[in-house]
Amino acid sequence: MNAGLLTPATERFLKGAAGVLVLVALWQASVPLVGLEPYFYPSPADVWHAFVELMEKGILPVYLVDSLYRYLLGVGLGIVLGIAAGLLIGLSATASRILTPLINFLFAIVEVAWIPIFVIWFGYGFKTILIALVYVVLFPLLYNTLLGVRTVPQVYVNAARSLGATRLQLIKDVILPAALPNIITGLRVGAGFAFRGLIFAEIIAAKTGIGYLIFEGASTQQTARTIVGMIVMGLLWLFLDRCYLKPIERVTIERWGQVTTAEDRE
Amino acid sequence: MTTTQTTDTKIRLDAVRLEYVKEEGRSRHLAVESISLDIRDKEFLVVVGPSGCGKSTLISAIAGFLKPTGGHITMDGREITRPGADRGVVFQEYALLPWKRVIDNVALGLKFKGVPKAERYATARRFLAITNLADAEQKFPHELSGGMKQRAAVARTLANAPEVMLMDEPFAAVDAQTRMTLQEELVRVWEQARLTVLFVTHSVEEAVFLGDRVVVLTPGPGRIKSIVDVSIPRARRNWQEMNQDPEFIRLRDEVLVQVRGQPVAA
Ligand SMILES: Nc1ncnc2c1ncn2[C@@H]1O[C@H](COP(=O)(O)OP(=O)(O)OP(=O)(O)O)[C@@H](O)[C@H]1O
Ligand SMILES: [Mg+2]
Repeated sequence: MNAGLLTPATERFLKGAAGVLVLVALWQASVPLVGLEPYFYPSPADVWHAFVELMEKGILPVYLVDSLYRYLLGVGLGIVLGIAAGLLIGLSATASRILTPLINFLFAIVEVAWIPIFVIWFGYGFKTILIALVYVVLFPLLYNTLLGVRTVPQVYVNAARSLGATRLQLIKDVILPAALPNIITGLRVGAGFAFRGLIFAEIIAAKTGIGYLIFEGASTQQTARTIVGMIVMGLLWLFLDRCYLKPIERVTIERWGQVTTAEDRE
Repeated sequence: MTTTQTTDTKIRLDAVRLEYVKEEGRSRHLAVESISLDIRDKEFLVVVGPSGCGKSTLISAIAGFLKPTGGHITMDGREITRPGADRGVVFQEYALLPWKRVIDNVALGLKFKGVPKAERYATARRFLAITNLADAEQKFPHELSGGMKQRAAVARTLANAPEVMLMDEPFAAVDAQTRMTLQEELVRVWEQARLTVLFVTHSVEEAVFLGDRVVVLTPGPGRIKSIVDVSIPRARRNWQEMNQDPEFIRLRDEVLVQVRGQPVAA
């Protein structure tokens, strides 16, 4: 539409921003119509004040850093363990026979069910949240890595072996890259699960963090704070998705021709 | 029919029987019944036979992907038990790794051997030049045409300096003109590289054009039907001359009779 004036990226951003502005305007307009107490239905202005207050007192930055730290560490550990376990089970028949029933059994016990017992073992706070996150990330990484390893085209393996690859070289240069699209799928799923898991774990088992802010705001009738927490949560996910997940996908899968999106090509 | 061992035998097949065994159903599929054959050092041997007669199976066995269920395969007198860099394979499906650029695909075998990067790129570039792919070195396989992929696959195998090159219908998937060019290029490249080649095809013309000897297999399960010597000098092996070469026409018809059981007008 604005051909020549704006880059496609700017145009996309402006359209997205317009949607948000309309939503906020509708919200503000609805406050007098609803006519309820601010703690029951706070206005955008109330939320803005709460945000400023949380920033000035230094609460929000600390919570944000805490949440981000727990998230990145939990996801990072979960990714490493999940890929390692997926490779082990995918490449060793013995490991597969021993571990598969156990893994399937554990998969059925959702992390929410573990949190109370983690709290008993590790107390409230960092350790419990970290373990819960690792647990959540582990399974999608493991299952997708396994799927990737098991579906590596045999001809690639044969080609590498007749070029003289050792077992380690085979894993590094053939099996891992061939499984990468699946691993990235696992990473996306795991990253999303972990984000929900983080907020949930912080509600139950933390005294800081975005999840705690959301829960604490509501239980002390500072509803505007809860909404600040929810908005930050949404923004945080957008940020992670944009700056971390999307680029990984782009440099790997799209470049090999598995996915070709015309607008993203160099 | 059975050749006797000479001093210059490179690979010896001794009453080789190849079966696909299905673990669960305990059913077996006989692909190659009994083949005895000596592949001479530095010769260009072509195996021709109808679809399903066990040509690919035979290549797999010599490459070391598949164990014979009877008989022995030896190279320089030693039993072949696993794939190795001494036997390079050019697959019908190319088997280029889609996540590596052309140059990295061609340099892959040297990387496995631990050759330093600058050196292996220099070697790879030499073989890319020989196979007319100098301009494509930075491309990914999905950006190449079928003929270019096939040349890249040949370059990858040759760059690894195998003693034997096993080629499984490498030109079957390209158009007729490209195929003729590739065949002429292969003749030229082979004269420079001077290694033992086992080339499998179902095209009689291709077999006689390329081979020093042509082995005709029976319809599956494969056995050797006959072996035809092709003594046309290498200097005449281009399509312009070969098309009118009475010797070529005679041998082609002879092999055609062996393959199909009846002569076809030239
Ligand atoms: N993995 C497999 N499992 C079971 N049977 C197989 C397998 N691969 C091939 N066969 C069978 O073995 C026989 C020989 O197959 P092969 O692929 O070696 O034939 P080919 O001569 O290479 O044929 P083409 O010219 O079509 O490539 C065929 O009957 C085929 O059905
Ligand atoms: Mg075949």
